Amino acid sequence: MIRLENVSKEYKNGVHALRDINLTIEDGEFVYIIGPTGSGKSTLIKLLDGEEIPNSGTVMVENINVGKLKHSKVPVYRRNIGVVFQDFRLLPRMTIFENIAFALEVIGMKKVDIRRRVREVLELVSLQDKAKAFPDELSGGQQQRATIGRAIANHPKVLIADEPTGNLDPQMSAEIMDLLEKINEVEHATIVMVTHDSTIVDRFKKRTICLEEGYVIADIMKGGYLKHE
Amino acid sequence: MSNFFRSLPKHVKTAFISIFRHLAMSLSAISAVTVTLLLFSTFLMIAGNISLFTKNIEDDLRIHVVLQPDVVKQADLDNVQKDIEGIQGVKKVTFSDADHELELMIKEHGEDFKMYRGKENPLSNAFFVSVKDADTIAAISKQIEQLDHVKQTMYGGTSVPKMVSMVDSIRFGGMIFVILLTLLALFLISNSIKMTIYARNAEIAIMRNVGATNWYIKVPFMLEGILIGLLGAILPCIFTYFGYPYLYEMLGGQIVTSLFGLQPIYPFTLQICAALLGFGMLVGLIGSFLSTTKYLHWKR
Repeated sequence: MIRLENVSKEYKNGVHALRDINLTIEDGEFVYIIGPTGSGKSTLIKLLDGEEIPNSGTVMVENINVGKLKHSKVPVYRRNIGVVFQDFRLLPRMTIFENIAFALEVIGMKKVDIRRRVREVLELVSLQDKAKAFPDELSGGQQQRATIGRAIANHPKVLIADEPTGNLDPQMSAEIMDLLEKINEVEHATIVMVTHDSTIVDRFKKRTICLEEGYVIADIMKGGYLKHE
Repeated sequence: MSNFFRSLPKHVKTAFISIFRHLAMSLSAISAVTVTLLLFSTFLMIAGNISLFTKNIEDDLRIHVVLQPDVVKQADLDNVQKDIEGIQGVKKVTFSDADHELELMIKEHGEDFKMYRGKENPLSNAFFVSVKDADTIAAISKQIEQLDHVKQTMYGGTSVPKMVSMVDSIRFGGMIFVILLTLLALFLISNSIKMTIYARNAEIAIMRNVGATNWYIKVPFMLEGILIGLLGAILPCIFTYFGYPYLYEMLGGQIVTSLFGLQPIYPFTLQICAALLGFGMLVGLIGSFLSTTKYLHWKR
């Protein structure tokens, strides 16, 4: 469960990114976070994965107070959450298999277990036949599937996707959405997806949280993109 | 801990690869270490021998007290010894009888003196007195000369303490030079590691994202630093291992007199090589530790 209580974040340069946010996301939920550029979406993600500390309020993820974590405990906490980025961030010199395995090596998993889990993940994201390919040999959609695979390899309880369809055409975006829904079901991961893409929000209806200028201006359970009059 | 050893081969590989990726930076750091260690090696060779010289000189720093020829009774000898031991600053008094004196004479001046062996021995009994402080040797020598039964005193000359202090200042100056060079090498190594860190920025960001601990991220960089230090130590080690024996043979194992005998080749060169390797690795470790810690500290 993710719970934000009275969370405010102001950067050192005076920008108020978030103002008094209260939010609860239950286990296994799939939520969109929408809003214009500069509305605080990225800051919200940074608070969730422990990169930033709120100025006030508490950020609780899986009963861990993220803002109060010691520096040395942040990496261990991060193993609970997977992050997917708009720009993929795959390591270009590694194959897809190695890229996913890398995430598991880093946390010291045994080689045999790594191999088994990577195969499992490749199957889940339908990239079995691309295991030995390098990232630049894949299409954007395939690369994004690979990063999703890397993010979920460690069975995270929360998957954060930062505009995962931002660089993809509508058909590929739909593929990614299908994959995320599958992960939501199969891996029982809570999914927090930041997006700009109104067609996706309208087509795959889910709880939608709308941020603007650091405030939550709408929290719509039935989904659909907010229309500005 | 088992995780650490499991990922160690991978870390070593990463370190090697990144040295070759930034060959120019690595080479500049390696050559800085090489220059530092070459000078360090020279310094160690000089210092090691000088400390041997000083030891020899200090051994020589004793007063030869020759007694009157008629002093032969044990009681008189004991009295003189007691008197000398009573003087302040005297460290040790050893008795050397006339026969022993003759043997020393033969050793020093040649076989011709062998004919005096036996009853013909014209020498008298003597004492060797070593002092605690080289500076007091003249005063103590004079004091002993005033004692009964003493014929004369001799010692190794006034230049000895001056030489010791000169040698000390050479050692001090060399040390400062080596320290400055070490700082330069540290700076260059940490700079080289910094380049590697920037080049692998994306990789580090992903490592953080998937939950790698700071230590896991740091280890390859520190290994890289150690490797740079080790590679930089190779040339100085070769220089020491072959250069010192060459010098030793050329000089015949001593400089002018046996007083300045050189350190024997083994284990001296091996000790220096070990010191160079250790020092190179240490400098590499510290240099890389500084830059990784600085870079990783302010990021969560």
